[in-house]
Amino acid sequence: MLGRHSKLIVLFIIMAVVISVISGFLPNKFLTLINFQSMASQIPEFGLLAIAMMVTMITGGIDLSVVSITNLCGVISALILTKLVGPEALAVHTGGVIALAIMASIVLSVICGFINGFVVAWFGVPPILATLGTQGLYLGLAIIITKGYGIQDFPEKFLFIGSGKIGVIPMPFVIFVFCALVAALFLSRTKLGLSMNMLGSNPIASRFSGINNSGVLIRTYMISGLLAGISSIIMISRVNSMRPGYGYAYLLQAILVAVLGGTDPSGGYGSILGLAMGIVILQVLQSGFNILSFSPFFKKFIWGVMLLLVMVINFAVAGYQGRAKRRGVRTP
Amino acid sequence: MDRPVPGTLQRTLKRVFRRNESYLFLIVIVFSAVITLINPTFLTLENFFDLTKSSAGMAILAMGVLFVLLSGGIDVSFTAIAIAGQYISVNLLMVSGVDNIGFAFLISCSLGIAMGAVNAFLISLFRLPTLITTLGTLSAFHGAILYFVGTKAVNTGFLPNCFKVFGLKNILVLARPDGTNYGLSVFVLFILGVVVLTWVILRFTILGRGIYAIGGNREAAERSGFNIIGVQFFIYCFVGFLAGIMGVMHVSTIRYSNPNYIVGDELAVIAAVVLGGARITGGSGTILGTLLGVAMINILKKNLIMIGLSSYWEQFFIGLIIIVGVSFTYYQNKVRSSQRLIFIRE
Repeated sequence: MLGRHSKLIVLFIIMAVVISVISGFLPNKFLTLINFQSMASQIPEFGLLAIAMMVTMITGGIDLSVVSITNLCGVISALILTKLVGPEALAVHTGGVIALAIMASIVLSVICGFINGFVVAWFGVPPILATLGTQGLYLGLAIIITKGYGIQDFPEKFLFIGSGKIGVIPMPFVIFVFCALVAALFLSRTKLGLSMNMLGSNPIASRFSGINNSGVLIRTYMISGLLAGISSIIMISRVNSMRPGYGYAYLLQAILVAVLGGTDPSGGYGSILGLAMGIVILQVLQSGFNILSFSPFFKKFIWGVMLLLVMVINFAVAGYQGRAKRRGVRTP
Repeated sequence: MDRPVPGTLQRTLKRVFRRNESYLFLIVIVFSAVITLINPTFLTLENFFDLTKSSAGMAILAMGVLFVLLSGGIDVSFTAIAIAGQYISVNLLMVSGVDNIGFAFLISCSLGIAMGAVNAFLISLFRLPTLITTLGTLSAFHGAILYFVGTKAVNTGFLPNCFKVFGLKNILVLARPDGTNYGLSVFVLFILGVVVLTWVILRFTILGRGIYAIGGNREAAERSGFNIIGVQFFIYCFVGFLAGIMGVMHVSTIRYSNPNYIVGDELAVIAAVVLGGARITGGSGTILGTLLGVAMINILKKNLIMIGLSSYWEQFFIGLIIIVGVSFTYYQNKVRSSQRLIFIRE
């Protein structure tokens, strides 16, 4: 009826409605610069994870280990930041340590992603199971290294990433927007991006078309890992501490946002624009809930219900457009 | 063709070794042997009884998860159902003053079936992907319990007596050399009951056939006349029922009711079932394998300390076991499929 962009149009309407309702209910607290800045600095953490989730979903898989990768990389970076910076630190020395910490996080996250991709592509393990296993692996490593304790107090300069501002815009938001733009271009304009879409749509057809399924899958999970690594840097910088287990609520939220943003969990379709709108909707609701002082348990309940509601609505819309029958053939 | 025909013994051995359970059984034996060498108290009857009691909960949940996996789905919400059943039955018993363990089971299991029905409703009627749906219901159920019922933990002192009595009940009591007793917990009857029930359903009923059929090929099952919605309702309600049983057993064991417990242990149960050879894509899996998987995970959990590793290594090891265990199976499958030019890997 509305064509290929029906999902995006529906999302836009929902986004407009949600923003209007929340603004209407709480004009004084919501429509302030401080609130927008606060929202803008919270979005990147789960936003990057949502992009990671979307990328893996496009290939028909899922990455349940993104938060564990975040935890592990965060722990390693935190250790580097606290152990290698002495009290007599020079400016150059600190800068070097910070660069090392960031580098370590990125490299480790890509390695974790590679392991994920390797298990999925080379051993043929279904992504659900593979990432379920690696999730335990990475989180377990983080717990072993820290023995469950937290790590605090990072160098001042490092905190700029999480808490600093460029003009009025919080730094993490700038990073996030940059990543989102790169991801959008990547998915629609590069060979690898298009291969991912095709693989997710029909892996057998893509294989016979000459696409190296294994290679694409491995690189998909490496990208997912990379995004998780970037997210971890922002996360530990914003909170100025790190402990294993931090951010576990983000897993459900990332999946929620990916699905809300129109990504098809069985693969083949995903749009950064839709994802961005989904992120905005979620963050606006989150802020609204915070201003209304909702209990974190109630929020947990709401996110769960929302995920289910979104899936049901997607099903209804797809059914209306006559695609449900075909969708029912794929195994969950 | 001049190859000698393999004898019956060779053929049987070959068939046995092709099965996943055989490898797992060997691994469990080897692992137990290694642990016994380090700590001789492992291979005692008392330790065996203790192991049975502590793995009872997981074994029961694993049977439910096996059903779900066989049907080609995956359920991560059973922990929320278990703790919901537990917390509500404890509180209801406290509020009503009734002190009957049967009543507790009734409440917990009914609630479990109801919550399982919610899962079933969403999955069967709307054809939603099972992982994401149950992730949603996990969050919704747990959030609902914590928000609408409360977060106050119930201490041993306030816990109704029936739970404590039930937890300590033994069906077989033996004496140690120093005069004190130890026993085989009544939980073992529950394990046996659930295992037999599962076995009967899977082996002797059309319902069981339906579960395997849906997991094997849903379209084909539908066209063969299986009532997909009915079977799926049964599966998820059964999971809820078992989760309800586990919840009551859990509180009876630890004598402390905290609505934040159990949730988070989904990975371990799924690991056990998958380790036992159940395919995540459905249609394949055995009870024996699942039980071996549960045994393996529990032996590992309890004895990590004995090998010299602290409990921090637990998560890591479970994750590692899953990866290594399933990689082996799925790789074999992949190689075999490509040799036969099969590209749709089920």
